[in-house]
Amino acid sequence: MDNLRKKWYLSPSRINIRSGKVIGLVVLAIILLLVPVVVRSPYHMHLLIMVGINAVLAMAFIFLLRTGLITLAIAAFWGIGAYASALLAVRLGLPFWLALPASALITAIIAFCVGYLFVRNPGFGFIILTIAFGMAIVLVFGTFDFFGGYVGIINIPRPEPITIPFLAPIEFSRVSKTAYYYLMLFLVLIVVLAFYAFYASSAGRAWRAIGLSPRLAESLGVNLFKYRLTAFIISSTAAGLMGSFYAHYMESLVPNAFNVLKTIYAHVYAILGGIGFAISGPVVGALIMTISPELLREFKEFEPIFTGLLLILLVLFLPNGLLGLISSRRPVRPSESIARVGKWIRASLPVSSSGREDKK
Amino acid sequence: MKTILEVKKLSKYFGGLAAVNEVDLNVGDSEILGLIGPNGAGKTTLFNVISGFFPPTSGQVIFDDRDITGLKAHEIAHLGISRTFQASTLFMNLSVLDNVFTGYHLSYKTSMWRRLLRRPSALKEEEMLRQRAMEILGVMGLAPLKDELAANLPHGHQRILGVCLVLATNPKLILLDEPVTGMNLSETQTMIDLIRQIRDRGITIVIVEHDMKAVMNLCDRISVLNYGKKIAEGLPQEIRGNKEVIEAYLGKEATK
Repeated sequence: MDNLRKKWYLSPSRINIRSGKVIGLVVLAIILLLVPVVVRSPYHMHLLIMVGINAVLAMAFIFLLRTGLITLAIAAFWGIGAYASALLAVRLGLPFWLALPASALITAIIAFCVGYLFVRNPGFGFIILTIAFGMAIVLVFGTFDFFGGYVGIINIPRPEPITIPFLAPIEFSRVSKTAYYYLMLFLVLIVVLAFYAFYASSAGRAWRAIGLSPRLAESLGVNLFKYRLTAFIISSTAAGLMGSFYAHYMESLVPNAFNVLKTIYAHVYAILGGIGFAISGPVVGALIMTISPELLREFKEFEPIFTGLLLILLVLFLPNGLLGLISSRRPVRPSESIARVGKWIRASLPVSSSGREDKK
Repeated sequence: MKTILEVKKLSKYFGGLAAVNEVDLNVGDSEILGLIGPNGAGKTTLFNVISGFFPPTSGQVIFDDRDITGLKAHEIAHLGISRTFQASTLFMNLSVLDNVFTGYHLSYKTSMWRRLLRRPSALKEEEMLRQRAMEILGVMGLAPLKDELAANLPHGHQRILGVCLVLATNPKLILLDEPVTGMNLSETQTMIDLIRQIRDRGITIVIVEHDMKAVMNLCDRISVLNYGKKIAEGLPQEIRGNKEVIEAYLGKEATK
């Protein structure tokens, strides 16, 4: 153990890398904190807040992808978090600060139930099931009056002001949006720290092994179901947490905001940034994809075409994503991303892959 | 000799097809048992059932005096049966050392939640496992290649790495699915030597293999499957002269 410590802390290259990282993070934190000072327009603040939400959705996608599961229900769980929080606040009068953790918990419970049924069928089965779930949830929100129907829910209360002794209370104002921005930063930070803890822990290694070869991981003693279900719950809960924030930020919800197309957008953010970069990739991808359509606002009706085209071009010509271009680090060789998707699907069908010889 | 694995009247049906049909098998402690038979005889299916990848249709598998019939693959792995796959199944994007390390790691009985919390004991354990992984690579002759990506290894080395991974789970019994298929003569000889060394450490081995020379050379006993049924069992020289076995491989004409 002593030996390990020495290696870790005293070797000069380590210190350089670590201190470099620390300096980078401090600079990044200062920039992020100073954004509201520089960016004055509420509309631009709104875009940045949406970048935060979108980035988390893309992170949630990558988190589950690492265990070999491709989910199309990200937006569904984002919506479950949003609706749970909105209903708790509107119907039961719960303050936002209670509705936020409560709705994350509700999302986690629903993710557990749904995941318990879905995760046993990896590969195609899982993709189809999550699409079906994603579509069904929009129908449920839209059809039942309890959820507000297709007109949605309006008048969702804003977060209550935070009072700190001796200081003016922090109001959540629609005009400046500064408080919302900082709250968004705080929530994204929570998700990033949680995800990072998972990636860095040795459970992360088990997840990575599952993503690389589920059959081999299982033969080495990994309970695929348990690890995948846990990843599904964590990923969905992160989306649900941002959903709660979204509901109280927008102050109104419509079911169609949470349809499967939104999940596809989350995939695009992730792939654009680079799926090998679990945290920075989604941020870069969401930043570009959220802001660039606004630069071409005259052509806004063509935006879905632009996005679809971009996705095709990315997968064909830039499978490593933008960060893959500038980074020398090659985390998971995402150049094989398409081949890997195929491999996962094949590997998840044990009969056809391992019983091949006997079926001739 | 103590029996470590006992397969009793084991059957596996795919629809109406009996891939494995009432097979009985006894494997003694520290024995090398060869499992041979023509293509489609049910050898790999038998492996898949024993290692828990398929549930059996009927019959029983008893390992170390414990009924393991119908247990899941990861549970059976923890009990001490480990297997390789026909194709080189490795963590292709990881280095050789990381492959074996991951093997150690996954088989180590740490709970998921303890792993997440990264207790100091878990860190200490990691360092210990890394050292053990290096030891295995040393024994198996892969130490100089430890930083190479698994995907970049030549086929023969990939198969050896597959065996390293299996050893990392600290098994009592290993099932090797075609360990020398596709290897050249010298690679085959290396693999045979390695398998003997593993047995000498007290690990029982069952091998499915088509390379008859390797099987005859290596195995203490041989069982022959054909159309899912066991048609012969015995010492290598007995099997070589067995009429039914020659029939199964070459057709009835050959024995006339």
